[in-house]
Amino acid sequence: MVSFILRRLGIMVLTALCLTFIVFWLTNLFPNLEKLAKTQGNFRMSDEAVLTYLGNNGYLQPLPVKYGQWLGVLPGYVIAGTDGEMRARCATGGQDIADAARFCGILQGNWGYSTVFRDDAGSIIATRLGLTGKLMFWVMLLMVPGALIIGVMAGMNEGSRTDRSLSTVSILSTATPEYVSGVVFIAVFGTATFGMQWFKGTATAAMDDANFENFFLPVLTIALYGMGYIARMTRASMTEVMTAQYIRTARLKGVAFSQIVLRHALRNALIAPFTVIMLQFPFLLNGVVIVETLFNYKGFGWTLVQAASNNDIELLLGVSIVSVFVVLTTQLISDIGYVFLNPRIRIA
Amino acid sequence: MTKHDQSPHPIALQYARDAKAGKLSRREFMARTTALGVSVTAAYGLLGLAAPARAGAHMQQGGTVRMQMEVRAVKDPRAFDWPQITYVTAGWLEYLVEYNNDGTFLPMLLESWDVNDNATVYVLNVRQGVTWNDGTPFTAQDVARNIAGWCDTTVEGNSMAARFSAIIDTETGQALDGAIEVIDDHTIQLNLPAPDITLIAGMSDYPAAITPAGFNPDTMLENPLGTGPYLPETVEVGIKATLVRNENHDWWGYAAGKGAYLDRIEYIDYGTDPSAWVAAAAADEVDIIYETVGDFVEIFNSIGFEESSVASSSTICIRPNQRAEIDGMRPYADKRVRQAIAMAVDSAVCLELGYAGRGEVARNQHVGPMHPAWADVPAMPHDPARALELLQEAGMADFEMDLISIDDDWRKNTTDAVAAQLRDAGFNVKRTVIPGATFWNDWTEYPFSSTDWNHRPIDTQTLGLAYRSGEAWNESGFSNAEFDALLAEANAIPDADSRRVVMQRLQEIMTDEGVTLQPYWRTIYRHAKPGFVGWDMNIAYLPHIYKIGIAA
Repeated sequence: MVSFILRRLGIMVLTALCLTFIVFWLTNLFPNLEKLAKTQGNFRMSDEAVLTYLGNNGYLQPLPVKYGQWLGVLPGYVIAGTDGEMRARCATGGQDIADAARFCGILQGNWGYSTVFRDDAGSIIATRLGLTGKLMFWVMLLMVPGALIIGVMAGMNEGSRTDRSLSTVSILSTATPEYVSGVVFIAVFGTATFGMQWFKGTATAAMDDANFENFFLPVLTIALYGMGYIARMTRASMTEVMTAQYIRTARLKGVAFSQIVLRHALRNALIAPFTVIMLQFPFLLNGVVIVETLFNYKGFGWTLVQAASNNDIELLLGVSIVSVFVVLTTQLISDIGYVFLNPRIRIA
Repeated sequence: MTKHDQSPHPIALQYARDAKAGKLSRREFMARTTALGVSVTAAYGLLGLAAPARAGAHMQQGGTVRMQMEVRAVKDPRAFDWPQITYVTAGWLEYLVEYNNDGTFLPMLLESWDVNDNATVYVLNVRQGVTWNDGTPFTAQDVARNIAGWCDTTVEGNSMAARFSAIIDTETGQALDGAIEVIDDHTIQLNLPAPDITLIAGMSDYPAAITPAGFNPDTMLENPLGTGPYLPETVEVGIKATLVRNENHDWWGYAAGKGAYLDRIEYIDYGTDPSAWVAAAAADEVDIIYETVGDFVEIFNSIGFEESSVASSSTICIRPNQRAEIDGMRPYADKRVRQAIAMAVDSAVCLELGYAGRGEVARNQHVGPMHPAWADVPAMPHDPARALELLQEAGMADFEMDLISIDDDWRKNTTDAVAAQLRDAGFNVKRTVIPGATFWNDWTEYPFSSTDWNHRPIDTQTLGLAYRSGEAWNESGFSNAEFDALLAEANAIPDADSRRVVMQRLQEIMTDEGVTLQPYWRTIYRHAKPGFVGWDMNIAYLPHIYKIGIAA
């Protein structure tokens, strides 16, 4: 088990390295750097001034060197600028270069500086991730029980009227992407057009003070998409279990149907959905980008959009690392949890 | 130097005759006489009218207002390129002079001013009893330091230098020796080498915020030293900014009956998509919309918001940049190409499609009938066939023009309308839309793009800011010695009728050179939930936030 977890952690680090290197390479393409220089310096900068600025601030070093510095395995640059001023990567906020640390990368806990938000990238990611965490928590709270109930109800009696109608609903909800359902929800429930203005079409206020009225629509939009999928998996798993020999035996013994479902079928039927729920996390991150932008909820997804559209190199890299971590950790949990749910599986 | 405590300024009397004869609109009359130091009451008196009473009695003290607005990073006020920034900073950084919708210039940190007969000597009387929020008194030294700072052309992005070019030494890039003279603790005299009628108007513009000694833009939020009634609580770029009343500061405006009724002002960023603002308004998350545009005026009216509108000289310019280089050549340096663009586009179509017809058609001259010395110069005729001929003559028929705009409602639509008309005329046009977050990084540099320009009271002001050679905001890359000379000449003529002769020539150059497309003048709108007072749209988007209150 321990070696399995270690192996997975190793893969996680490797994936994070590869992904951040790709992001780093793309954000450091010259046109992107030029854009960055003009944002940071002067709007009317000449091409020579752009080169001077980039050179003075360490952007023109070879890509692997820059990447190593960001990572913290190579010492941060100390460059004597063309204007005679010494600049060091590690000396920020007027710090003396002699006092500055030699290494200041992600390994040293330095997430860098966001050029869009003019703030420390680490603290921005922490705040925004907290807000998305809140959104995710309520999504999970709505989606998981909802999906399991629908799935179990549909799977109890395969082919029944309940099964057919619930299956139709699940297929519909999972076939509707967030950017469609979100817009429809805002139009129907967020405006007075249809006389059903029950909720708020924006979740900006929910960042500080979330309540049912301002938070339900974004939560529902994300939850519905995942709900149909998980419900379908639960249903499939449930119908399979319901045809198993031991269920038939229990029925012959005269156990009540409700008891059979709750005591005998449910645990075995939940093994497959558990994995699916865990694998939903990466898709949820995806949905969060759309829903947060749509509802103006300034969380992790919104930050990703802002960072990407502004070529905010260090913020974008931080966002990538967190994403890799979230995706691979949930997969690890899914694998480990599977062992506990299904005694037939052993992880060596 | 003559004092005019008793009798009105002689030029003001001339203006009064002009106004009564209908040569000068009421707004322009107020703008021009109050800029000369005539008080508002006296200015109305010259027209034989009583000054309108100021609202204020029917407000309650206290409360919170939430305003939808883009929250941008604060920086050195001189480099402000966006009035929204000042809605945050105006909480503690105030202005010398305030420009109002009726065209008046009201004294704020100044108590009054006098301008001599040929507008070469300005005497500024600093308001008594004003203190910084750390308790130190506000004096003439503070004003002198700020004016000197405005004249410092070495500061990157300092647009105030264009407004004060009259007293700048072009060699040192600083204020001329002896131009700013501190007479005593509360009096300053500006000595101009040549007449300039626009200085007071320049002091009222949004980058002219008065900063304290030792001001550092990097710490202006942690250490918000200023004279105003509020303090910043939080400023999160792209998210939210909050101002709260500074309880430990005795703001001069309380005694002067200026207001600052609210305890708390919140600015919430809902991005650039107006439909998100409607959602926010419908959800009762905002009370005031910073600016409503195009079709959304109707939508906000329909959800029960109150409308405030003002006809202005705010406008959009879709300009080629003459200095822009594409693949080693300068496509828009050729006058024929620019003329071709102007001929291919019908301004009325841009107004209709781009701004739902809420404005007046303009003539690509960036001076209009709302300006005192506007000359009736005809526009370039709309002739798409001739446009294509010109383009072919210039050998640019195959050149692909990349027309850039911001990603929003009316600016994008207007630019789309231009692109469509250019394509109809046979031009090869590509459209690029850049998100609001990055668009302004390079707005003066794009080869061919659209920019919105705010209202300015006097005809020569915008021409000076946007088209004089080498100015920070000269986005069309226009550089024309004759134009610069004529502009300097116009700036020295206080009388509108005499100046019109020069303006005529300036407008002709604008048309003939095809400097920019400037298809229409906008009526600008703001909406607010019923129950608030003093939030009216300012003609120049100025942040008069101390006037806002909750109706009693």
